[in-house]
Amino acid sequence: MMLLKMAWRNVWRNHRRSSITIVAMTLALVAELLYSGLVTGMIHSMEDDATEFDLGDLQVFHEGYLTRPSLYDVVPDAGTLIGKLEEAGYQAAPRLYAGGLGGSGDMSAGVQMVGIDPVRDARTLALSEAMAEGAWLDAADPSGVVVGRGLARTLGLDLGSELLVVSQGADGSIANALYTVRGILMSVAASMDRSSVLMTEDAFRELMVLPEGVHKVIIRRPKDVPLKQAKTQVAALAGMGATDPAEGSVAVEGQAATVETGTDGLDVMTWEEINPFLAQMLAGVSGMVAIVYFIVYLAVAILILNAMLMAVFERIKEFGVLKAIGYSPRQVMIMMILEGLIQASVALVAGLLLAAPGMWWLQNRGVDVGALGGIQMVGMTMPPIWKAHYTWSTVQVPIIMLFVITFIAVLWPALRAARISPVEAMHHQ
Amino acid sequence: MTASTTPILSMKGVTRVYRQGKVDVHALRGVDLDIHKGDFAAIWGPSGSGKSTVLNQMGALDQPTAGTVLLEGTDLGSLSRKALSAMRRDRIGFVFQSYNLIPVLTAYENAESIMALQGVPVAERRDRVMGLLEDVGLEGLEDRRPHELSGGQQQRVAIARALASNPAVILADEPTANLDSVTSEKLLDMMARLNNERGATFVFSTHDPRVMKYARRVIGLVDGRVDSDVQKEQGVEHKHQSRV
Ligand SMILES: Nc1ncnc2c1ncn2[C@@H]1O[C@H](COP(=O)(O)OP(=O)(O)O)[C@@H](O)[C@H]1O
Ligand SMILES: [Mg+2]
Repeated sequence: MMLLKMAWRNVWRNHRRSSITIVAMTLALVAELLYSGLVTGMIHSMEDDATEFDLGDLQVFHEGYLTRPSLYDVVPDAGTLIGKLEEAGYQAAPRLYAGGLGGSGDMSAGVQMVGIDPVRDARTLALSEAMAEGAWLDAADPSGVVVGRGLARTLGLDLGSELLVVSQGADGSIANALYTVRGILMSVAASMDRSSVLMTEDAFRELMVLPEGVHKVIIRRPKDVPLKQAKTQVAALAGMGATDPAEGSVAVEGQAATVETGTDGLDVMTWEEINPFLAQMLAGVSGMVAIVYFIVYLAVAILILNAMLMAVFERIKEFGVLKAIGYSPRQVMIMMILEGLIQASVALVAGLLLAAPGMWWLQNRGVDVGALGGIQMVGMTMPPIWKAHYTWSTVQVPIIMLFVITFIAVLWPALRAARISPVEAMHHQ
Repeated sequence: MTASTTPILSMKGVTRVYRQGKVDVHALRGVDLDIHKGDFAAIWGPSGSGKSTVLNQMGALDQPTAGTVLLEGTDLGSLSRKALSAMRRDRIGFVFQSYNLIPVLTAYENAESIMALQGVPVAERRDRVMGLLEDVGLEGLEDRRPHELSGGQQQRVAIARALASNPAVILADEPTANLDSVTSEKLLDMMARLNNERGATFVFSTHDPRVMKYARRVIGLVDGRVDSDVQKEQGVEHKHQSRV
């Protein structure tokens, strides 16, 4: 109690120095709070984007399709599977893929044709809402296609432009057809932006001469079902039997659940397994955040260290007296550490009060980064409005770090103070 | 007032050599000295004679180069740093020339602080501190910070603090050096009264003859040696011990 009282008053002894230290701590804390919320917000939105626009939560496809996509490797009875999934509360949409060449005027580019069930796809993913211009696919308009914005730019396509697509059909024939651009997608994912030509499932089947099967079934799980559990359930519905890794039908956790159905095997993968790089990056961002914290706080730590060392040098005689009249080195040390922590506590209160409106603004309104033209990271495009996301841990980490750094920075000055010999202190001028 | 009982403090053959660069400074050259309960002793000598060094040795602030210091029979040389801290806290009261008080604490809190370290209950602390501050004539000034007190008042707080922990001995290193003569004499008057009324043992150093005359025992120090040790009784001086 005595030590705390002394520490508190010592902090306010040198107003100027303590204020500078506290202001620095406060600004660092505010910066960290805003930064950590923004980064967390970005992770969340990228995760949401990845699952909403591109990957879904889960995908079912022919074994090995992901690494060696082939027109012939299909999920045979997709209709039945989708029916079962929908019954179980999932959203599912079939997808067909093929590569080809797209041309308009005298321009041409490699394209990826995607066959889509317009209604199911719109229920499952958010792509149908990510139209920059024009309209989403319509089964009643089989010659209408939706293209990525990057591709539209490359080929000089506008709404209503004609697009010639050439490829090789499943029967080996030359496949070519002329389409009309009815919609242009916003930049969502890099690969989709550059090369996608979305068309109706029927148009795709006709072009590619592929009457049966789909390449992927893209699945969104109900909100309350955890990803792992969803994977097990989907695997079961796809007729893969028990897929609990513990039961041995799946060799390694994190790998696809595979089962032989006759000659065809099917894979079920989560989005994290399909894009492990993105998943890892999102998980790793917290590490990067910690490094930035560390750098900002390092500067503050040097300031604290300096201020506290000055305080110790100014008060050598006083520490001498304290030691002489019976304060132990430990008590002197505790007092100095308390002085540092008190300043951090004041900075905490000030920092929270200062940051709160900013945090509220960033979480609810966000920053308009649309002008930057869609920054891309790991194949994902940043949303035009960058919102922060705050959870207890987003706020907790900067605060804990502030106290840890302060504690570390005052250790050395505190040790110096604790070690002052009373006799030498008396001689000190 | 005879010295028959075991001494509170006992220095035996204490030397203290400071190394200053390549030169050895012999601050103490073999000091034998006993302090008894109830002593009101002045260590007297010119500047540089070793007065502060003797008091630092007595107060467990410094270790002798050779010889032993016994405080109530305990060899200070045998104690750990932690035990020495506790010894200073519980058995010694210190009054320095200046910079005695903790600037952020009030007079009351300064006097109280060591008792707080000792874990004395608040109510008891309050009684003792208020009694002591009254005794040293600082009634009504309890809530003043050191910088709001005069030099003499600050020394009184330091004495109250030293007494508060009920130490075996109070060591005061030139307590009046920064005070004018009137204030010095008042302070010594007060110390003598506390010695009389409370039986508090005082050892103080000085080179001021006006201060020295208050002492009932005068230990003369020259060049790090005890040159004379005179016990005065009822105004009659008689040689108690002498080394020339
Ligand atoms: N820390 C120290 N380092 C070196 N020499 C010292 C130190 N303290 C005291 N001395 C020397 O020891 C001698 C005695 O000093 P001191 O005990 O302070 O004398 P006094 O208090 O009587 O003036 C002096 O010569 C002084 O210079
Ligand atoms: Mg001295």
